[in-house]
Amino acid sequence: MAMTEADFPLLSLVILLPLLGAIAIGFIHDLRRAKRVALAVAVIELIATLLVVYLFTPASGEFQLVEKYAWIPILNIEYLVGVDGISVLFLPMSALVTLMAIVASWNSIQHIPRFHLSLLLALEGVTMGVFSALDIVLFFLFWELTLPPFFFLIGLWGIGSHRRGAAMKYTLFMLFGGVPLLLAIVMLAVNHATELGGGIPQDLSFSLPILLQHPLPGDLQVVVFFLLLLGFGVKAPLFPFHTWLPTAAMEGPAHITALLTGLKLGVYGILRFTIPLTPSASVEFSWMLSILGAVTLIYGALIALQQTNLRSLLAYASISHVGLVIVGIASLNMQGIQGAVFQLINFTVVASSMMLLAGFIQHRLGSTEVIHLGGLAKVMPRLAAFYFLFTLASIGVPGTNGFPAELLLIIGALKAHPSLGVAALAGAILGAAYMLSFARRAFFGPIVHGDVSQTQDLRPRELILLCAPALLILVFGFFPNSVLHISQSASEAWLNRLLSFVP
Amino acid sequence: MDSLVALILLLPLAGAFSIGIGQLFGKLHGEAGEALTANIATWAIALSFLSALALLSSDLLGKNAGSFSAGSWLGSNALNIEMNFITTGFNAGLATLFSLLLVIVTRFSINYIHKEPGFHRFFFVLSLFSSAMLLLVLSGNAVGTFIGWEIAGLCSYLLIAFAYDRPIAAINATRVFVTNRIGDAGFILGIALCYTLVGSVNWSSLNSGAPQLTTGTATVIALCFATAAFAKSAQLPFTPWLARAMEGPTPSSAIFYGAVMIHAGIFLIIMLRPLFEQAPFAMGLLAAVGLATAVYSFIVGLTQTDVKSSLSFAISGQLGLMFLECGLGFWQLATWHLCAHAVVRGYQILTAPSFLHYVHGNPMKPVGRDIAGLRWVYVASLQRFWLDPVVDRILIRPTYGLAKDLDYFDDHIVDRIMGAPAPAGRAISSLAQLEEKVLRTQFGEDTGTFGRGNGWAARFLEWLAVIMSWFEERLVLQGIGMDAIDMGRKLGYAANKFEKLILKPRYLVLFVFTVLLFAASL
Repeated sequence: MAMTEADFPLLSLVILLPLLGAIAIGFIHDLRRAKRVALAVAVIELIATLLVVYLFTPASGEFQLVEKYAWIPILNIEYLVGVDGISVLFLPMSALVTLMAIVASWNSIQHIPRFHLSLLLALEGVTMGVFSALDIVLFFLFWELTLPPFFFLIGLWGIGSHRRGAAMKYTLFMLFGGVPLLLAIVMLAVNHATELGGGIPQDLSFSLPILLQHPLPGDLQVVVFFLLLLGFGVKAPLFPFHTWLPTAAMEGPAHITALLTGLKLGVYGILRFTIPLTPSASVEFSWMLSILGAVTLIYGALIALQQTNLRSLLAYASISHVGLVIVGIASLNMQGIQGAVFQLINFTVVASSMMLLAGFIQHRLGSTEVIHLGGLAKVMPRLAAFYFLFTLASIGVPGTNGFPAELLLIIGALKAHPSLGVAALAGAILGAAYMLSFARRAFFGPIVHGDVSQTQDLRPRELILLCAPALLILVFGFFPNSVLHISQSASEAWLNRLLSFVP
Repeated sequence: MDSLVALILLLPLAGAFSIGIGQLFGKLHGEAGEALTANIATWAIALSFLSALALLSSDLLGKNAGSFSAGSWLGSNALNIEMNFITTGFNAGLATLFSLLLVIVTRFSINYIHKEPGFHRFFFVLSLFSSAMLLLVLSGNAVGTFIGWEIAGLCSYLLIAFAYDRPIAAINATRVFVTNRIGDAGFILGIALCYTLVGSVNWSSLNSGAPQLTTGTATVIALCFATAAFAKSAQLPFTPWLARAMEGPTPSSAIFYGAVMIHAGIFLIIMLRPLFEQAPFAMGLLAAVGLATAVYSFIVGLTQTDVKSSLSFAISGQLGLMFLECGLGFWQLATWHLCAHAVVRGYQILTAPSFLHYVHGNPMKPVGRDIAGLRWVYVASLQRFWLDPVVDRILIRPTYGLAKDLDYFDDHIVDRIMGAPAPAGRAISSLAQLEEKVLRTQFGEDTGTFGRGNGWAARFLEWLAVIMSWFEERLVLQGIGMDAIDMGRKLGYAANKFEKLILKPRYLVLFVFTVLLFAASL
């Protein structure tokens, strides 16, 4: 696959800037200044990632802004980063979510706050690495490096009493997912060497563009497909590996859960690595992938219907939405793929903003359990208005960004497997049911608790913070082509390459 | 003149946005802001009506090209959804009629909603609804119509829940929205089938391509759109939502369920006439459902004792007749029936609150004798044919039951198998707990909570760990480890003894002599 090299190491800057910021905060002892530095780093990072999108050429389906340096020459492991139309939009979105998380937690973190800011920035840098790494070992490094920040962020600043347990559960699940990934990576590299008839250390290759040119032989491909699917499926999360998410959502701090539900690294991994690296196996087993997606979709939606806590409701809703995205990816047509990328970008805006809102409610009332709420719309009309907008985006009402994405996903699914398209529609009906029933019980009705009537509406900081995602929801909803034209060429290249392997 | 369409749609939308943003940032607030809000809403819809009137006149003068496109809205490979509009005939006429009714109701509401807490919210939703409804009528493709369709449904939800602190209103709103969502799923399915089978989502391509479709294909697509229409126009089995929807303020009931939105379903059917004519089965279904709804509504309407519910059954009954007309092929009649019904019913609902005042001293006629004697019909009518409980029983309760079972399954089985490594109830979260734990360890009372897991996977690991540690302790450490140390120690003692022995002087001399003797013999 051809690549366009970068003149200026912009992507490296995007990866390194937050990491350097994280270190710098360690040396700033004044808390107020540390907060300002963190905010400044996050803002500059957002501008830098927007610059990446600006410099990106949507018309080309190749990897762009590529930087390549030798890293571990003896094993041919490279520092290779680049973006294409599938990954480029995740950079500014991740930067935006991190910025929102920093602003949302501005006053709520009292306990070792500088370490908290450092971890948030470190997490941001590592996430940028995940989205731009093109060498699979480098990717794996970044992938595993997302673990420690999450572990500490959930364990140290969680709001539930079992936060340590939740952090441990998250970590063990992710470590478990890492094993098959590593195994698959080694198999891919070794196969590349033997395929070329070369020796093991000198002819190994871990570079994604090179590996894409030499697909694995049939049987091995099936094995690698399932290993990669397992590894990424745990993080996505797909049924039955999803149980870490509701636990983390209940125990973790809301702005961190916002990052967990917003940044869908697992699905990105399936889109970026699993399917392109094992094309024939993916086509052969696409039916299995789509059934897995449909099961996750309906399963998550039904369980969400039973939730009485906003945070676990949002966690299951997020699981259900991931199911729909997987159905779209497994449809293996343009509408499915573009819809999937679109929906993944929507998550960063919608799912994280809803989690932040849940955090605001938790911060005010000490609970997001429905029996402690009721009649919130009366005392917090602004918060209720934003909650409704995000709900509408989440259930895919036209005018919001959820609609074009869901339309594409459903059309894609119906084209590929009509019965699964119908499952997706059932999911859409259930989505409206669980989201609106919760809204009814929490926001409507009379005020039954005294402390609810004492509550303050959104403060200016929170109002401005929520305006950014609200605006994006409407802009993407009214002008979906603004997102779609960026992913168009890359999705076409992705799909054509895949279909060229179909016998 | 075709471009007037943009103005018709954007004016109310801009009105809605200005009211919404004004309210969000506290600029439009309380009674002081009422005049401004009312002005924005009225002017927006009034100008929109004038544009619609201009569009219609130019159409009647034959100056319209028939369609207007504002570029691509969504493009993904072969799927290209344009922002295109129909500017002639039925669509233009209906847009004019609807916008006129919207102007009247908007003006009426200013006085009616005056000093209500949700004044600004009401006009925000009403303006948004105006825009959505006009988009529904004017859009040239299925997706555009669906966008209007869904946003109109959303506005209906928001206005049913207008008095959101009343639990009944909130419950009804949610129920109505979710019921309508079933119809929406049919619409989306129809759009997707249009794209895959006809290759375009434009109404014009669908209608012009309809004669080439096989009867089977046409029937499937027609049934999808028919489901959507049945839900939106409150036909059986969706009829009960309409009575629930009357919960909203009267002007909104008038415009949503009397005059405008309720006709969206029948409008869709009339617009898709060529498609339905290709699908005899779908036509038959239209007639059957229409007739059944008309009969149902008539019987249930007989026992209603309040104005709004009896009006709601009158509405679904009339719409049933329109569906029947379409099903029998009287398209022109259905079109005129729609327009006439919109005007009359809008007026009736607007005046419903003062209805009792009008009919004072002029009581309703009792039901005819032959019907009045039928006891079972009476019961069925009072119970509205048990439609809501039946739907509850066969659809909603099983769904919730399944959800409950799955929730249990997730908590008790999936989570168990996957394992929750930290003992959920025993995690340390306070200093006191930590101290207690340390003390217990010191006194040897700790029964080994450390490294203990929940869940099957964790249990398995724990069990494995116990065996391994037994192996390590008993066999490796004791068998090899301890013995090796003992042996080493014994060897050490022996070596020490030997060294002490040979370091004694006499043995040393003997040793030296022996060495010398050897050397000499060599």
